[in-house]
Amino acid sequence: MKLIRLALHVCLFSGLCFAAAPAPEAAKPGEELARLADVSGRYGGHLTIGQRSEPKTLNPVTATDAVSREVIGRLMGDLIEINRASQLTEPALAKSWNISADGRTFTLQLRKGVRFSDGYPFDADDVIFSFNVYMDAAVDSPQRDLLIIDGKPIAVTKLDQYTVRFVLPRPYAAAERLFDGLAILPKHLLEKPYHEGHFAQAWPLNVSAAEIAGLGPFRLKQYVPGQRVVLERNPYYWKVDRENQRLPYLDELVFLFVGTEDAQVMRFEAGETDIVSRLSSENYNLLAHEQSRTGSQLADMGPGLEYNFLLFNLNDLGGKKLDEVAVKQAWFRDLKFRQAINVAVDRQSIVRLVYGSRGAALWGNVGPGNKLWVNQALPHPSQSVETARQLLKSAGYSWNATGQLHDSTGRPVEFSIITSSSNSQRMKMATLLQDDLSRLGMQVHVVPLEFRAMIDRVFQSFDYDAAIMGLGGGDADPNPEMNVWTFNGTSHLWHMGETQPTTGWERELDQLMQQQMVTLDYAKRKQFYDRAQQLIADNLPFIFLGTPNILAGANSRVGNFHPAVLDPYTLWNADELYVRGPLMENAGVR
Amino acid sequence: MRAKVTVLIVMLVGLHGVLLLAGFFAPYDPAAQNRELSYAPPTRLHFKDALEFHLRPFVYASAVVMEGDQRGSYQEGRSREYQVRLFVTGASYKLLGVHESTTHLFGVSEPARIFLFGTDAYGRDEFSRVLFGGQISVAAGIVATVITLFAGSVVGIIAGYYGGWVDELLMGVNELFLSLPWLYFLLGVRAFLPLHLSTLRTFFLLTGVIGLIGWARPARLVRGVVLSSRNRSYVLAGRGFGATDFYLSRRHILPEVFGLLLTQAALLVPRYIAAEVTLSFFGLGVNEPVASWGNMLSTLQQYSVLVSYGWLLAPACALVVTSVLYSSLAELFHSRLKSS
Amino acid sequence: MNYILRRLLRAMLLLVGVSALCFLFTEMAPGSFFDEMRLNPQISPETIAALRSSYGLDQPLAVRYARWVNAALRADLGYSIAYNAPVAPLLWSRAKNTLLLTTCALAITWLISVPLGVWAASRRGGLVDRAVTLASSFVISVPELVIAVGLLALVVRWRILPVGGMMSADSDALSMLAKLKDVARHLALPAFILILCETSIIVRHVRASVLEVLGATYVQAARGLGMSQSRLLFRHVLPVAANPAISLLGFSLAGLLSGSLIVEVVCGWPGLGPLILEATLSRDLYLVIGGIMFSALFMIGGNFVADMMLIVVDPRIRKEGVDAR
Repeated sequence: MKLIRLALHVCLFSGLCFAAAPAPEAAKPGEELARLADVSGRYGGHLTIGQRSEPKTLNPVTATDAVSREVIGRLMGDLIEINRASQLTEPALAKSWNISADGRTFTLQLRKGVRFSDGYPFDADDVIFSFNVYMDAAVDSPQRDLLIIDGKPIAVTKLDQYTVRFVLPRPYAAAERLFDGLAILPKHLLEKPYHEGHFAQAWPLNVSAAEIAGLGPFRLKQYVPGQRVVLERNPYYWKVDRENQRLPYLDELVFLFVGTEDAQVMRFEAGETDIVSRLSSENYNLLAHEQSRTGSQLADMGPGLEYNFLLFNLNDLGGKKLDEVAVKQAWFRDLKFRQAINVAVDRQSIVRLVYGSRGAALWGNVGPGNKLWVNQALPHPSQSVETARQLLKSAGYSWNATGQLHDSTGRPVEFSIITSSSNSQRMKMATLLQDDLSRLGMQVHVVPLEFRAMIDRVFQSFDYDAAIMGLGGGDADPNPEMNVWTFNGTSHLWHMGETQPTTGWERELDQLMQQQMVTLDYAKRKQFYDRAQQLIADNLPFIFLGTPNILAGANSRVGNFHPAVLDPYTLWNADELYVRGPLMENAGVR
Repeated sequence: MRAKVTVLIVMLVGLHGVLLLAGFFAPYDPAAQNRELSYAPPTRLHFKDALEFHLRPFVYASAVVMEGDQRGSYQEGRSREYQVRLFVTGASYKLLGVHESTTHLFGVSEPARIFLFGTDAYGRDEFSRVLFGGQISVAAGIVATVITLFAGSVVGIIAGYYGGWVDELLMGVNELFLSLPWLYFLLGVRAFLPLHLSTLRTFFLLTGVIGLIGWARPARLVRGVVLSSRNRSYVLAGRGFGATDFYLSRRHILPEVFGLLLTQAALLVPRYIAAEVTLSFFGLGVNEPVASWGNMLSTLQQYSVLVSYGWLLAPACALVVTSVLYSSLAELFHSRLKSS
Repeated sequence: MNYILRRLLRAMLLLVGVSALCFLFTEMAPGSFFDEMRLNPQISPETIAALRSSYGLDQPLAVRYARWVNAALRADLGYSIAYNAPVAPLLWSRAKNTLLLTTCALAITWLISVPLGVWAASRRGGLVDRAVTLASSFVISVPELVIAVGLLALVVRWRILPVGGMMSADSDALSMLAKLKDVARHLALPAFILILCETSIIVRHVRASVLEVLGATYVQAARGLGMSQSRLLFRHVLPVAANPAISLLGFSLAGLLSGSLIVEVVCGWPGLGPLILEATLSRDLYLVIGGIMFSALFMIGGNFVADMMLIVVDPRIRKEGVDAR
């Protein structure tokens, strides 16, 4: 009897939990909504997305992993957004902004009448609070470094309830792009943990839905450990469609934690999830093969922004007991040696065998996917073993009877390439490279290492000869690349922790990067950056290999599916996605 | 019964002979890439063309047919037949590590290729790779098994035979080994080793690591059996007559655990061959371009590979064959032992 | 009583040893949780250093270990870096799911493999025997991971079962019974894989040990004296043959938390496996160590049960007792 009552109770309780999603609120007078004139769809239904791992936190200030950010991005709103389709900035919570002539002062007009997902009104105090949190050294936010320019924080002041001014310590090109990804936090909910000094612990995954609110299209409904996060419509969201209907269309957005990339594909193939992104070409082809049966929408968006490259260890090894590596550095420092390798690489094979022809070969750090910034004038020399041999010969290398390459002191040329064992594409590149370079008489060993063990060698111990890695993928603008190309940058991989540029071209590169950062005119910046790309391609600190296309897929039911080459590839317009055809209430259960 | 034994022995000798003389039996160099022929399906052997039936099989040259700008499937060019020939000259190899030779058992003339098990992502002949890979993998599997079983039975016998605090101590260490985070250990080990490891060193490393981690389970199993057999009347009697511990354990206790060890051996050999899949994730496996069954199997973990390129299951099949042969051998051994 | 005390002491020492070695291993392994941030060019090394020190990772090993032991004695296993949350509740919420999967699989495995092994042994060389031997050789030879991915691929094609997870996304709306059915459908595949892989090992051992005893002189003598096959099997053979099987059962119990890692990862089962694997690869130290300690407890328990059973079941050990010497 007791058991029956318990069961009844559970049923009742769970019934309550599944209360319908909140209906969108009617527009209030004076509410300044953002109208998307070319968007239409219809209300209802839910979409399911498979994630490779479980998000770790819902705290937008401390989250660093891509999976957490994918969820948090749907919950939170920014002042200015980068439209992923056009790659340009767009007004968001700031309905407009103006920049002073010296490029240092930004004055933002906030949207009036906007409410957080719990109905609490939003104004300049929330903005001031958010930026205080981001810039507080005690919070250790990873975004903090973006907002500290030349060691000085950006000054944020409230002019009135809906106007905020940002003053930068010096001119900063495309500074408005910084606002994308800096979520505006609800002061009324987070002030207390912030003042009590445990902000980093706020908003863990198991936070109750009542304690978290944001300005994004969705709000938290439920988290089931190890299984899923369910988001529901934010009824107060500040965007409307063509017919002035308040977005988002979807009642719910469900994130399932499926574990691996393959699981993502299998779940999608089985119809248990609706959208899949960051597909490998093998999996894309697999889905394309099934397309006639499943009718799913597959999108090949062309090359993305990631660049994969071969990196030689040119670090200063003084003080580290790495004599073996130090000897080999004589080769790696030789530009002709690097040039020889550059022309010996069969990039077409990489595109064909690694990316299944869904990718592009690279000769510089900016790929064809970045249309605004790529230097079209860079030469694309095709593979030539002959040229490579001549280069080596002119640099004093020679071959012995068995065809092995020796340097001028008679040492056989033999080195290892490390790469992450969990990245099968880079492992393949290494194996192809090994074969390419064996034709020059070089003996190359491929050493797969676990990801963090490899990173440790590249960033800390410098105990490696060469590595295959990838960078980029965030924003199209050159500014995020600063830390790679300036001599004291944190990702200046080939020579970490330099105190001053060691060579002339590095000095020039450094100056160019600094100049483009403080120049506001696009055409001028482009000139600087073109020259920088030229320098990089001429001096080959990295030997660029290729970039994969951005591949994504969606169930035939998904409307307004417009993947982009910028992260987040598919969910950037989650507020516009809708469900076509009959609304299945029990999707997933067959 | 006798015929069965003969068949088994012939098959075992055959298997190891082929693996040992892989260079001769394999038509190609296992590391040679054919980038135009990646993921080519197994080459079909034909006996019949449009006109007549041939006793000597022949093949057609295959090439990729493009579908738009994307790769389509492979198709045979029927215009010319290439006969499969015996004792052809091809890539050079070292037979048994000493004799340099270029003669291969079979082959076809270029541009046709004979890929009995298809090719992998780089267009390398899967058949040749299975043969060469078997050299390392089968040896590593057997050596590692011998190490673990030896260590395991020594510990197990001592613990079971003496019992008491010796047992307590050894089984405590045993449990410690069974519960440690070995993945972290592997990461640590890798960090202390030089970056490039020769294949020979990798071999010792594989067997050593597996032996270190693997002895604990067999030791517990052996100890259980020894606990029981040390109280048998003849053991007790032997002890009464002043037999030494060593004599007793060799004469009476070892035979008791022998069956168990054989069963374990049949289970462990394939396990340990496949264990390289995990170890190679941590950079402790056999490195490209050298073939091993372990690094070949690791590509099978990918869903797209498993579903689209079924022929890459070849190393798994080879492993099954090896394992069946070895467990039959263990079985045979066991029944001989009992009846004698 | 003496024996129980000794076991307890051993368990305590073991936990100390495991935790100490855990710390040592994690210290030895290169890389840290914050390494991934190094790849993000927008995060400065100072921020990373500050984060490290806020988790106490800049302290020497001995200090960290002392702190951890001190906290662990108060049932506090530390803080997960990734989840920014205490370890113990995190582990427990996943351990429940793992236990659901593994206990089901364990029960069925043993229910199948013992009778099957005995049957195969009692009709040695027969059809059943050969089929069992061949099938188990097959399963043993193919890595578990490949079996799991392969079966999952079949399920995707045939659409007979859900492709992973533990319940459907909308299972909250279902009735109790439907909910149970839902979980059972999700459980079927991972459990099947586990059962397949485990059975192939245990059946071999059961078969071999029964054969061993059947070949012994006293059994042959009994048979010669005309004792019926079934009476012989159940009265004299099975109790003796149970020995290695019991040790194996100990392993099975010990592996209740840790034995299903691969299957859980491949099938997306929300258990300890994916959590610990991810924590290991991301160097989320305290989460890993907590998980290892959890599994070590099961190891101790499983082996203790096995030892007790050995004493109870095996007539020869019982005669003298483990404590005899």
